[in-house]
Parts: sequence; structure tokens; C-alpha cells
Amino acid sequence: MSVFIRLVFQGLRDLTRHPWPQFLTLAALTLTAFLGGLAALFLRNLDAELLKHQGKAQFQIYWKQDADPELVKKQWQWLKELPNAAEVTTFNPDQALDVLKESLGKDVDFTWLRGKSPLPYTALAYFRLPEGGEAWTRAVFDKLKGMDGVQSVHFNPMRLDMAQSFVSLSSRIIWPLTAFLTLLVALVVGNAIKLSLLSRKDEVEILQLVGAKRWYIRLPLLAGGAAQGILGAALGLGFLRIMQESLKDILNIPPLWIKITFLPLPDCLALAGAMTAVAILASWVAVKE
Amino acid sequence: MVSVRHLSFRFGKRWALKNVSFTVSKGDFVFLTGPSGAGKTTLLRLLHGALAWQQGQASVCGFNLAAMRRSRLHLLRRQVAVVFQDFKILPERTVFENVILPLDVRGMPRMKSERRVRAALHALRLENLSHTPCAELAGGEKQRVAIARAVVPGPQLILADEPTGNLDWKLACRLMDVFRQFNAHGTTFIVATHNREIVEAVPEAVTLHLEGGEVDEGRYDVGEGCYDENEAPGTSGTSGNGEDRA
Repeated sequence: MSVFIRLVFQGLRDLTRHPWPQFLTLAALTLTAFLGGLAALFLRNLDAELLKHQGKAQFQIYWKQDADPELVKKQWQWLKELPNAAEVTTFNPDQALDVLKESLGKDVDFTWLRGKSPLPYTALAYFRLPEGGEAWTRAVFDKLKGMDGVQSVHFNPMRLDMAQSFVSLSSRIIWPLTAFLTLLVALVVGNAIKLSLLSRKDEVEILQLVGAKRWYIRLPLLAGGAAQGILGAALGLGFLRIMQESLKDILNIPPLWIKITFLPLPDCLALAGAMTAVAILASWVAVKE
Repeated sequence: MVSVRHLSFRFGKRWALKNVSFTVSKGDFVFLTGPSGAGKTTLLRLLHGALAWQQGQASVCGFNLAAMRRSRLHLLRRQVAVVFQDFKILPERTVFENVILPLDVRGMPRMKSERRVRAALHALRLENLSHTPCAELAGGEKQRVAIARAVVPGPQLILADEPTGNLDWKLACRLMDVFRQFNAHGTTFIVATHNREIVEAVPEAVTLHLEGGEVDEGRYDVGEGCYDENEAPGTSGTSGNGEDRA
């Protein structure tokens, strides 16, 4: 057991003996983890966005400029309690102004309009579609339009169709793309590790010459490969997290309202696990060759 | 110690060794001579299992090379040490770390192995360089490190491939003195060289000449190197294709 532990530690220590090849390998693994994670993040968010709209009808409701605020608030509550209501987002004139400011950029200053915003009360309402969705949607549309003080209700049936089409497309492409991505990551990681081991070819040859058993030669290399895989994945995902944190609200503006969320923990663990496994496997194959 | 019968080996279509037979007894000091391309290095590589056996029979330290499985090569290499012209030491590791390597792979307790390494370094006058990275050593020092690493586990047989090739005459003679000292303690040596003066510097050694089938003292029945495919020998044994398995 002590030999096992010693060889594992030796494998980790050996990484510092060839700093440049190891650094470049780590950089390649980090970049691969980052790009793989980025692609996974894109797919995840696309999938989540499409699923959010799956079978849901979206209505944008605009109240008249002179609508009674108390009545509007009661109507908002009524909207939320309607059957099949999935999500209702509301904006008073000042909140609508904030959103507009956000959309137009930091240089725009609307502070002088605060308290006297010309924008109307607005609501964005999503409803789950029941059976016979089209007729039901039409009925809801008429009901919303008939509310006191409502100026207009926007509903685009094409958007619903498009969302449903995207969902169908998503379910078809997500898994093949994930598989392709996994293969790509495996190839890059595998080749990076194999190339880094070329710098240790002489060491392997010398160990063989002095009578080392195969496991004695392989164990430090596998430990080193595993360490690089874990470290590369951690760094790559760390950079991805930093990027996501700084850009998470970049699409959270009208009319997109898309908040970029980070990969769920199981996905991160799967990516790190896959990279580590491939790194170990590549080390094994490289020594065998 | 070493018994080779009807050994033939070729790289592709070119025969490197053809129908070579000889025996070496325990404690012998043997020079393997011949011009460049005669097959000296090939023969040494075959004797420590770096090349897959093709034709003929051989026994080295009790191991039947023709029937040897790759998974058992490490057992042979624990009995047969090799010294190369290009040293084959790890430049980024210290002298001590290089020399202790064969003992580490054998799982020898650290205290015992350190004692043996210190003794070997002392014998080769390397104590002062013990903690120096090998990359900082001169050629002669590197060669001594390679020899220390070869002798430290106490192998039965040491194969040396042109060990004086990178050394001046004085250092080469000193190296031969070191070899003779270890030989006097019972270690068998087979040293490949094309340097006649080195051969003459060790009068007790016997010579195995690879080219023309020179016979020495009736114990060496040497075949020839460098043949065309048409002259293929009719000896039996395992077959291969010049595969390197170091």
C-alpha cells in the first residue's frame, strides 16, 4: 500500500519535472473543458428556454395610460389565479421605464421621468395549453381584452407554433449534439495527454530497462493524467462560471427575457468525470504504445 | 550465463545477424567487436529483451529468450543491466535519484537501498555529485552515473554498448578499470566496442568478433552480420519482424 501511495504522489510530483509540456497540456484540457462546458451551457439554456415555452401561450397585456392603479393590481391578482396560469410578470410604469432603460443602455438617463413615466401598466402572462388549445387561447384572449382599462392584448399564435417546433427540434438534436461534444472532448483530451507523455518517453524506456513492472511505470503516469484531468476540468468550469456570472443577464431584456443559467451540478460532475476518465485512459494507452 | 544458438535477426528484408552462436560463462569479460553495422547493438538489445526474438535459441541468466513473454521481461532485466553510449539517464533527476531507480523498482527498503547507492557512488567517485541534476554533468560523469545505476542492484550480467564512445582515452581506460573491478567480484560483462585499443587494455577479456565468424578459445562460434534476404539461414526458432519491445 505504501508503494502505491508513494507512486501516486510521485506521479503528482513528476508533473513539475516537465513544467512546459504539462502546462501546455493543462491549458489544452482547461480550454477543452471551457469550450465543452460552453457548448453544454448553450444547449442546456436553449433546451430550458424552449421547454419553458413548450405548450404555453404567451400574452402581453397593456393597460391604458389613465388606468386605475388599484384596479390594475386587482386584475393582476385575478390573472395569476386564472386556471392554467403558469407565470405572470407585471410592470408598473416606473418598472417598465427601468426595463426600457436597461434595454437602451447605461448612457440613457430616465431619472427625470421617475414618478411621471409615460409607459402603461403591463403584464406578461404565460398559460399552459389545455386540450383544444387554440379555441381556449382565443377565449382567454377575448377575456383579457375585455378587462376594464386594458388598451391592448398581444398574442401571436405563430410564436406558439414556433416554440412547439423548436421543442421537437431540440429533443432531436440535444442528445446527438451532446454525444458529439463528448466525443470531441474525449479526442482532444486523449491526444493532449498522449502528446504530453511523449516528453516522458525516455523515462518510461529507462524504467523498463531497469526492470520496473508495468504497474510501477503506469501508476504515476495514470495519477498524473487523472490530476491533469481533474485540474483542467475544474479550471475550465471555473472560467465558465466566471463568464456566466458576468453575462447571465445579457439576454434578460425585452423581448427575450432569457437568463443564462449555469450548468447543473450533475452536468459539471459528468464533464469533470469524463475528462478525468479519458485522461487516465489516454495515459494507459500512451504507455502501452 | 549466456548461451546463444543459431541466432538470426533481420530488420525488414535486411539481415542484421545470421546464424550466431556463442556461450559466455559466469565471471567472463567479453568484448563484442566488429565494424559499425555488424550487429553488435542488435545482439545486445536481443540479449536484454529489447527486441522480439525471431530465429534461434538463447538462454540468458536462466531465461529462455525465444519463449519469453513480455510480461516477464522485468524479471530478466533485474538480472541483466545495460549501459548505453548515450547514457540513458534522466537529466532532470539528481545523480542519487538516477542510481537508486533500479532499487526502487525492486521495492527495496529505502534505508538499505540508500546504503547501496552510497557505496556505488563511492566506488565510482560520484559522492560529491550526489545531489547534482544529471543535466549539469559532463559526459564522463554521466557515463559513471549510468554505470553506477547498472551495478547498484548487483546484476549477474552487464551489457555495455560502446560505453567509451563519448569518452576520451584517459576516461575510457578509467571506465575499463571500473568494469574490471566489478568483474573481479563476479559480475559478467559483455561490452560492445569497435575500439581495438580498449580491447587491448583488458588483456584477460575474450573477444567475440561479429563479422567473418572469428572463433576464440573454442568457446565462441560466431556468425556473421549484414546479409541479404536471399541468404536466409535455415535455423529454427520463433519468428518476428524486428519488433522493438523495449
